Amino acid sequence: MLSVNPAVRLIQNALGLWSVPTVQKLVLMFFFAGITYGATGLGAMLLMTLLANTKLGKDGSAKHGISLSESSRLGGLAIAIVVIIYIAGLSLLSPYTSGLERNDSFLYIWCAVLFCCLLGFAEDIKPDFLTPSLRLGAKFAVLGALFWLSPQLIPLSIGAPAIDFFLSVPVLSWALVTVFAVGFVNALNMADGANGLVPGIALASFGVFFMEYGRPMDGALLFACSIFFIFNVISGWYFLGDAGSYGLGAILLSYGLLGVADGHFSAGFMAALFCYPCVDFLVSVIRRWRAGRSPFSADNGHLHNRLHQFIKLRIKSSVMANSFTGLIISGSTSGAVLFVYMVDLLPSGSDLWYGFFVLEVLLYLAGLKYLTSIQPKTQYADPV
Amino acid sequence: MRSIVNFMVAFGLIWVGVLESATSSVEDFRQVLDDGDVEPERSVKHILAVGLVGSSIVSSIIINGRQTVILEGHEKFLDPNPMLSESFVGSE
Repeated sequence: MLSVNPAVRLIQNALGLWSVPTVQKLVLMFFFAGITYGATGLGAMLLMTLLANTKLGKDGSAKHGISLSESSRLGGLAIAIVVIIYIAGLSLLSPYTSGLERNDSFLYIWCAVLFCCLLGFAEDIKPDFLTPSLRLGAKFAVLGALFWLSPQLIPLSIGAPAIDFFLSVPVLSWALVTVFAVGFVNALNMADGANGLVPGIALASFGVFFMEYGRPMDGALLFACSIFFIFNVISGWYFLGDAGSYGLGAILLSYGLLGVADGHFSAGFMAALFCYPCVDFLVSVIRRWRAGRSPFSADNGHLHNRLHQFIKLRIKSSVMANSFTGLIISGSTSGAVLFVYMVDLLPSGSDLWYGFFVLEVLLYLAGLKYLTSIQPKTQYADPV
Repeated sequence: MRSIVNFMVAFGLIWVGVLESATSSVEDFRQVLDDGDVEPERSVKHILAVGLVGSSIVSSIIINGRQTVILEGHEKFLDPNPMLSESFVGSE
């Protein structure tokens, strides 16, 4: 550490802007970005640092439950800019033709993703710009239109007889998948409450998709999410924001459904990969309904809130406690799925992944029960 | 003014990786046309531009794109047209 400080102070003097801890974080972030993605990683990290320091989209202290510092909500915008530069450049300079140019399904998917991003971006720039019911209605309209125009995204069977019956009737399957899709996008937004939690889930998912398909778009998303993940975990200066969580939610949902519909992945695999946001969403809705509150009202009773409170009592740094929370949850759910997929312990099309999903749910419930006495004291705390 | 320069530097650095990926991709298609199936090269310049993880990602994209082209039609892949890059259709 002693040998690092003079270098850090030198950079601090050169920049003349930030405190020593801030510069230490910057050095660490740029080091990891440079090692993993070279000059491109440094560029993406610089872009994210600059966007995080703009006044636009600042989120006040404690607005996000866990966070205790002022952070930027422009994480989604940063990821979008990096991906667009990469894909546009590759399309112009190489033999690559992006999917949306040559395939109607991908065109509709990316139109839906763009709309979801814009919907969230409006909220990031001006909170409460749109009423919750209007946002919900807009998501139903966009995702409903997507599945109406691209019925090939809807799986014909997921291995559960009751649901397979609904999936066999076109209109019912469309309605069922649209409701699920809106719920999934909201679930990912709801889970975006700890450093590295949703970015970690997205990173593991794009890792799986990239290893399975090798598509340049997956590669670009993997790159942008990796840089964001490093930035988010080390500094805590960024949230994905609504633009990021809605946009990533729509991408992961579409890719996941397409993978199941094409038979490359079992529904159990996707359930295991996206276990945390889905189960946490369902448990939160049930908890609020039982308490007589609106199922969509904000609170801090999520597992990540309770785990953060538990870790915070044992670790001095609030950023580290926040990041450990996100890393533990994303690592033990989506990260574990990525690991099992990488070492090829279970084929991606196997229904045994439902067993993995059940294990994750049991782990979630055990964690929730163990941490049930911990209630974070913030503006969204449950009434006693 | 300072922030504009910083943003330009950031975009420029990202563009380095885009250029490296695109160049690797075009070179790979030309090499495959001349020499058959070859592994994408990993020079020092390549590693500096896209990093260790990025290098693996670029290689996977190139190999996958090549396979897609082969699967989707030999006639386009074997076209001796010098405007080679424009006649290819990559993956997603």
